[in-house]
Amino acid sequence: MEMQRQQEVKRKALARKRAQEQLRPQTPEPVRGRKHVDVQTELYLEEIADRIIEVDMECQTDGFLDRPPTPLFIPAKSGTDVATQILQGELFDFDLEVKPMLEVLVGKTIEQALLEVMEEEELANLRAGQYAYEEIRNIELAEVQRLEEQERRHREEKERRKQQQWEIIHKHNETSQKISARAFAQRYLADLLPSVFGSLRDSGYFYDPIERDIELGFLPWVMNEVEKTMEYSMVGRTVLDMLIPEVVEKEAGHVRPEGGQALVPEIRGRARRPGRRERSAGLRLPGGRRGPGPAAVFRGRAVPGEAAAGGRRARGAHRADGDEEVLGEGRTLPTAGGRRAVKPWRPRERRGPPGTRARGPWGPAGYPRLLCNCE
Amino acid sequence: MASARISMYLPPDVNPTQAPIAYGCRALPKLNKELQSEHLLTRQKALVALCDLMHDPEYVYEAINIGCLESLKALLKDSDDVVRIKTTEVLYIMATHNVGRNGFLECDVIPALSSLLNDPHPVCRMNLHQAYKHLAELPAGAQGIVFSGLIPALVWKVQREEEDIQELILDTLAPCLQVDATEALSSHAVPFLKQKLLSTNDDIRSKAARALIAISIPLEGKDQVCQYDVIPILVHLLKDKEEEVQANAAGALMYTAVTTEGKYAALDAEAIPPLLALLSSPKSKVRLNAAKALTMLAEAPEGRRYLQSHVHAFRVLEVEHNEAIQRAAQIAISVIEWKP
Repeated sequence: MEMQRQQEVKRKALARKRAQEQLRPQTPEPVRGRKHVDVQTELYLEEIADRIIEVDMECQTDGFLDRPPTPLFIPAKSGTDVATQILQGELFDFDLEVKPMLEVLVGKTIEQALLEVMEEEELANLRAGQYAYEEIRNIELAEVQRLEEQERRHREEKERRKQQQWEIIHKHNETSQKISARAFAQRYLADLLPSVFGSLRDSGYFYDPIERDIELGFLPWVMNEVEKTMEYSMVGRTVLDMLIPEVVEKEAGHVRPEGGQALVPEIRGRARRPGRRERSAGLRLPGGRRGPGPAAVFRGRAVPGEAAAGGRRARGAHRADGDEEVLGEGRTLPTAGGRRAVKPWRPRERRGPPGTRARGPWGPAGYPRLLCNCE
Repeated sequence: MASARISMYLPPDVNPTQAPIAYGCRALPKLNKELQSEHLLTRQKALVALCDLMHDPEYVYEAINIGCLESLKALLKDSDDVVRIKTTEVLYIMATHNVGRNGFLECDVIPALSSLLNDPHPVCRMNLHQAYKHLAELPAGAQGIVFSGLIPALVWKVQREEEDIQELILDTLAPCLQVDATEALSSHAVPFLKQKLLSTNDDIRSKAARALIAISIPLEGKDQVCQYDVIPILVHLLKDKEEEVQANAAGALMYTAVTTEGKYAALDAEAIPPLLALLSSPKSKVRLNAAKALTMLAEAPEGRRYLQSHVHAFRVLEVEHNEAIQRAAQIAISVIEWKP
């Protein structure tokens, strides 16, 4: 019965629990696609702070008492009493024993002293050796310096001597050059004076003033006058020449024109030639004026033979004077023997710039200009 | 009688001022450590112990190896007098050994020592100058002193120090000037040495003359010696009682007379008669220097003329045992009898 009751109680408890669980609010169902997971939110580690219960307890002993001093241990007397006594000289002999010790002590001291003295002596020996070496070194060094100095002095002396010699030779050369130059100049200039005078004289610097005067002044004037006179005569002749043909023409108008003409011009040509040559070979006329060329008069006539030759010569002479244009081509003077038809004399066309009123060598009608200025 | 009980007290020190020296190879390292301690007494005692030990070259070698010099250099700047005095003494003893000298040069002890040149304690300075003197006897040491620029300071000190320190400085200067004299010449060494030549102390005179020999080796030195009129004083010293002074004076004349100016200055000061007297001196150095000086003077025409009547003195020298003197005499005779 009881068991049943217990079971019932249990069942009721269970049922109560279940009912309570159902009533208890539970977490809602998870949303679609999610799942509930258990997570621990508590700390993983827990600090155990367990305080052990402590209780203070005391206890006390009684105070110490001083330990009493140990009593002196006196062992019981046992055995026999024995006594001994060391007499003087029995234990050890001080003098003997002390000897090695003293030896050591003194020896060490002396050894130390000896060491120091030896040290100083060694140093002194070294120093003495060094001094001796220094002496010899000084001597040698002094010797070296002396030799150097000697060498330097000798070298400088040599240089100076060489320099002196060089200068002497130089001066010697210069002097000899000067002497030779002077001798040469003297010789050269020795005949300078005569040659100067000679050349001056040759070039006519030394002239007799009177002679000069005559040459420069008088003679030209004379020649001028001579020329003038000759020109006058020439002019006269020319006029005559002109008159004669006219007259002859006029008379020939009545008589046949032959023979007489041939002679006349020939004579005239010949007579003129030496005169011109003379004139061209002699002094130039002042002003360079020329008399009317004879050939010019006979320009219009074509004459073969001697007259032609004379004309050519006259042309040649004129060419030398530069009046070549005066004569035309093909105009020749008539010859002595030839009876040729003479072209009728026509006045030549005027040379020179047309329309000039200047007084050139040609007159207005193509005739040569006359010196006598009769127009 | 000796008691069997061990005493409570330490055994009495042989030298209470000395630190106990450890046994064997521990001695020096321990002393080195004690040198660097801050306790004044420890340092002093260690220094005294070191002084004793440094007489042995093996200990010197070991001390340098373990770097005692660095600690000693640091102690040089110490404020306590005793420490400085003892340090300089240790260094001076080390300088008497070649190992020590080489160690000085390697560890640059010279500049460190030079800071004590103006120390108020004379003993300290004396030790210092003794150290320098020993150092200067080594050619490399002399070079080291020259390169560290101490020469002007030393030259200046010659004037102002006490006599025995002056001797030491002059002894130091002589080898240094042989290495390089230019610095000294530019710091007026010649006038100072000239003054020292007139001092009453024999040693100072001879050492000053020796320094003058060294200074008149370069041309600049010769010129300065002539310029400052030292030659008459040197001629006067030729008649000195001391042989060493005579020898050194003759040596200085020998060098100065190489230049033409020096020759004529010496001839003007009538150096030839005293030099001739010196040719018969008992000391070989005197004879050598005198012979050489006369050789120099014989290069000048006036000297040659005077000496031609004294060639016999040189002939005597020619038969000497000393080879150097023989050679010097031969050269002298050849110079005197030279015809242009």
